[in-house]
Amino acid sequence: MDVIGQFPLFYFPDYGSAWMMGVTGTIHILASHTSVGAAMLFAFLAHKAYKENRADYYPYMKKYGMFLLIFSYVIGSITGPGIWYTATAASPRGISALIHNFVWVWATEWVFFVYEVIGVFVLVYFIDKIDKKTHLKLTYTFALASVGTLALIIGIISFMMWPGTDAYYTTGSASDAFFGINTFPHMFLRIGFMIMLSGVIGLLISSSMRKENAELSDELSKKMGYISIFGGFITIFFFIWYMGTLPDNAHAVFAFSKDAIIQNRIVLTLAFFLYFALAIYKPKFIHPLLAIAMIFVILIGGLWSGEKLRESMRKPYVAGQYMYSNQIISRDVPGKGIKSELPIIAEKGLLALNPFVPKNLKVITEDNKLQAGELLAKLSCSSCHSLDKTGVYRPMRDRLTGMDKESIKAILYAIGNGGMSYMPTLKLPEAEYDAIAEYFASQNY
Amino acid sequence: MDASILLALRDPAGVPFYPIIFQVLYILTWALHAAFVLLALGSMGLSLYGSTKGQSDSHWKMLTPHLIQTGKISISILIVLGVAPLLFTQVIYDPNWYVANTLSGMWVFIFIYTLVVGYSMYYWYYYANKGQKSGSVLIGAISFGILVFAGILMHNFAVTSIMPEQWMQMYAPNGVIDDSGWTFNMDTIRLAFLVSLSIPVLGIFLQNYSRFLSTRKDFDLSYIEYTASLGTKTAVFGLLLSAATFVLWMLQIGYLFNPLSIAIVVGVLALLYLSAVNFNSYITTGVLVVVALLISGMRELIRFDIMSKLGYSIYDYPVNLEIPTIAMFLLTFVVMGFTGVGYLLTMAWKVGKNEGVFDGSKDAVVTKLGTYTLNIMIVWMVIYFGWGIVILFNNIL
Repeated sequence: MDVIGQFPLFYFPDYGSAWMMGVTGTIHILASHTSVGAAMLFAFLAHKAYKENRADYYPYMKKYGMFLLIFSYVIGSITGPGIWYTATAASPRGISALIHNFVWVWATEWVFFVYEVIGVFVLVYFIDKIDKKTHLKLTYTFALASVGTLALIIGIISFMMWPGTDAYYTTGSASDAFFGINTFPHMFLRIGFMIMLSGVIGLLISSSMRKENAELSDELSKKMGYISIFGGFITIFFFIWYMGTLPDNAHAVFAFSKDAIIQNRIVLTLAFFLYFALAIYKPKFIHPLLAIAMIFVILIGGLWSGEKLRESMRKPYVAGQYMYSNQIISRDVPGKGIKSELPIIAEKGLLALNPFVPKNLKVITEDNKLQAGELLAKLSCSSCHSLDKTGVYRPMRDRLTGMDKESIKAILYAIGNGGMSYMPTLKLPEAEYDAIAEYFASQNY
Repeated sequence: MDASILLALRDPAGVPFYPIIFQVLYILTWALHAAFVLLALGSMGLSLYGSTKGQSDSHWKMLTPHLIQTGKISISILIVLGVAPLLFTQVIYDPNWYVANTLSGMWVFIFIYTLVVGYSMYYWYYYANKGQKSGSVLIGAISFGILVFAGILMHNFAVTSIMPEQWMQMYAPNGVIDDSGWTFNMDTIRLAFLVSLSIPVLGIFLQNYSRFLSTRKDFDLSYIEYTASLGTKTAVFGLLLSAATFVLWMLQIGYLFNPLSIAIVVGVLALLYLSAVNFNSYITTGVLVVVALLISGMRELIRFDIMSKLGYSIYDYPVNLEIPTIAMFLLTFVVMGFTGVGYLLTMAWKVGKNEGVFDGSKDAVVTKLGTYTLNIMIVWMVIYFGWGIVILFNNIL
């Protein structure tokens, strides 16, 4: 029996299931990047406090640490596995591809993560129970462990975009997959952002300390301003470098909204530059409410749009440019013994090969055509597009408005022949094309 | 679900090392994860009882915040430790893991945010209790309820994953596909047994707590004796309850006379004796770890047997050996993991034993462990970048 290893479909109406990963991922990035950035900031502050005998920095670190415990080690440490967990429901073969290539890298990250989680409790709760020298050493190890988690996850998420070179396909080696040409620019882009975020969160903490100690609050707000500008500069520098390391399909998607994205980035850069300048020159004007508002601006204006862009630029792939977003293997990977599933799908069709298609839908008939078409549309398209008439996330209704069955079929043929670089080259038997087109046409978008 | 489908659901990339290693790591890390789940559950539950006592009872006035703190830290640790068994299980049991998660996709999403809300509320409970706020018991109870619900959801994923013969019926009842992700299954006796374990785990924890504090002069002897006695009563009651639910569970699935099942019963009896006499709770904890590993092994045996009967053996999974990254993991795990976690735990132990500020710089063990950890991490970073640069240059030049 010919079977391809596809799992049951999970479909979230109106949005599709991919947005779940997007929402969880965006929240996680804010929390996790703050965490790593704060770990580096703690090392810096602890170093200064110890060398310059600034005992007044410790309450600030403790306050920051308590915030971090909830923000990063509740929200961040749950949403981290949460992305992975929601990915198992929304993109099972995509995450499986990553797991089977990088399980030991993830396991190594887990060792750092264990150190980080125990370390943060020790760091925060023992800050006034251990001597300053021991505390300083602890902050150094905590910072290195936090950066270690980034160093390990970055190669995996870079591989999601592409392996960077062809070596991986021949060797199947995790090292070749991990250290692609975009891995290091991506890593330092994120380090810059983490430093900046640590300053942005630091401003919230320093500004909320104003009533207790105005002088210290101003001094720390100034420092956070400088740190944020430094981090922001690194982010922009490596973002440009990173963009140059991306594959053609990513640039094809980027070109669609290039002007809007650049405009958005310029506006954000200016807004934050002014905010950081305010922190440096007029720290007393930094109010906790303003600091909270700026965190939300980063979350919505920067991270959400950035993550959506990164996810779009991977299209049509979800991992290593061999796994399509719709859970189909699109190329051979000789190094791993992986075979493309496109030829057999073109010959036998998705319904026949997917083991979770019920018997009554295995063969398309006049009676089940619409039902089969709906299932095929979900299997082929719903990982990126919402199919419902009221769809919100990359809705099909925007793309197929007013089209009849033949026009829709023409689009499907074009996609199947590789006419759109950001769409999967998914060739299907004629009966399946026909059923999908009939289903979409019946929706009267 | 026949063998050809189950085998097709394996990842075509194969596994990067021998499957038995993943299986062993799964059993080991699940036991660690479960230990903190049970401790969190037990300490949270008892802290709620303690909170109702308010400030009226001097023992509970001291014990309740400590239990809340224990619950708080345990949740963080159970989350981080829970990542490992999830990782290892999906390498060798992809059909089970991915089918269960897609069938219960909505619950997966809800699980994440249930945990976020429940744990955030737990911090609220912590601060409310600290500030002696009147609503702290209610906040704690809601948080506890939400976190227990998250646990039940996790139980659903585990149970659904070992029902392969019913997957098709769950996904497409009568040939009509249900892609809503609302599949939910429970095995009440199995859940009751696992939850019941939180009582003896809490009891043995209380014995350890009492033993640990017994060297501190700033804690009353009456308090030390009270917590030890509370621990003994809790452990004995809990072990009897766990033994009964375990026997019921084994009877239900026909594993009562399996050697592993018998070993667990013997282990529970040993724990019952050790905790009842409480001559050294640290030794009892050692036995508890062994029993936890046996229980984790039993869960795995049940799954292994279900899948083997259907023709799916993890030992037949194609292996694509991946030496550099397993070397990285093993070296990091053994060298950095043990040194680093040893450093943190040694420091925590000594701070806990110490009254006032602990001067780690004058403690040879803490200083050495700290220096080793720092140096190991620096060397790790150097190797990481060196490795990356060599690979990159090799592939692009």
